[in-house]
Amino acid sequence: MATRTQTIDDDAPQTMMNRLQAGFRPRPRRAHRLEQTAGPGSGARHELSADLLVIGRGSSADLRVESDDVSRMHARLQRLDDEYSIEDLDSRNGVFLNGLRVHAAVLRDGDTLQLGDTVFTYTEGA
Amino acid sequence: MGFFVRFWGVRGSIPTPGPRTRRYGGNTSCYEMRSDTTVLIFDAGTGLRELGLSLVRSPPPAGLELHLFLSHPHWDHIQGFPFFTPAYLPTTTIHVYGSEKNENYQLLSGQMANAYFPVAFKDLSARIVPRSFTGDVVQAGDFVVRRFDQRHPGGSSGFRVEREGRVVVFATDCELDQLLLDPAAARDRPDARRTLPASVLAPMRDADLLIADAQYTDEEYPKRVGWGHARANTVVDLALQAGVRQLALTHHDPMHSDRDVDAMVLTAVERVRAAGAELEVFGAREGVTLRLDRP
Ligand SMILES: [Zn+2]
Ligand SMILES: [Zn+2]
Repeated sequence: MATRTQTIDDDAPQTMMNRLQAGFRPRPRRAHRLEQTAGPGSGARHELSADLLVIGRGSSADLRVESDDVSRMHARLQRLDDEYSIEDLDSRNGVFLNGLRVHAAVLRDGDTLQLGDTVFTYTEGA
Repeated sequence: MGFFVRFWGVRGSIPTPGPRTRRYGGNTSCYEMRSDTTVLIFDAGTGLRELGLSLVRSPPPAGLELHLFLSHPHWDHIQGFPFFTPAYLPTTTIHVYGSEKNENYQLLSGQMANAYFPVAFKDLSARIVPRSFTGDVVQAGDFVVRRFDQRHPGGSSGFRVEREGRVVVFATDCELDQLLLDPAAARDRPDARRTLPASVLAPMRDADLLIADAQYTDEEYPKRVGWGHARANTVVDLALQAGVRQLALTHHDPMHSDRDVDAMVLTAVERVRAAGAELEVFGAREGVTLRLDRP
């Protein structure tokens, strides 16, 4: 009990403010990322930083995959509240999340995404 | 054009935030079905809060028009309503569906009575309209919704939702195991097909997607008889008998971690395989949208 009172006394208002402000200081972070595990270009790692990016075969795609199974504009990745969602852009072969065909999904650590013959693993940064 | 189903809350009984449930999600019962012109909402559990935020992010110029269907008034199915942002906008219209007496409307407002919540139901700015089913069918925008009774303490409603030949059935909070034609067989030979009466199968018949309460494993159920929820294996057998194409197991138990749900899905998939059937089974997961109107 005595120790605890001591700690509170030590926490002068100024110290408390410093601690709170420290929470707002920019810290180095590890980005969310996609690692390609199957399909042409397998092994590629992509750090995700943009708020919006398109995965596709087309030259205008942000994350290009050289596979005929992948549509020119296949899917869109969008960041909201530091989470990425994927949305199928009416692709021919669809987007499969852990084996389930989805129209869209909020991604979670360890998720597998399959677009045609191309497979990615999603890893959340810290 | 589109017929989309989005899972906003798939947890049963009580919200479960935290790392153990992060992938499937911790919000309680809330499901959205939409076309280009119509938004239907099934249940108003805590998942409704985030659905509300998403709706007000890009509201149509004429304001939101929403159709709200409640399975029943247990907390995990209504608790999100006081935190539903569109209800506070004067440009919103919310149609609340219930039986002739429409006790759903009363029950929604009841939880906002003074002692429970600081804002009174009558002070919500949205136009909230009680609607009744004529018989058991209602037309909501470009969807047709049929209501059916389920076995649950206090009763609950299931809904069969149809649009342009595609069918989604929302059937949460139903203790199918109390409706089995031969309950002893399920206990003595868990692997044997569990037979359900035609009256239970009828509303599920040939659904493209069945979203069903599958809270318990076979091992857990004996200690929870009468609590109002089904064994996942029984739900699988229901879907097989009703000719369902895709089955989403939901109303995940608050004690079940993501890995536990994975294990239940796996057991269900093996049961389908053993039956030599084509049914696709998965665990309903927060933040996932399916599209029904594909060939
Ligand atoms: Zn419930
Ligand atoms: Zn209930």
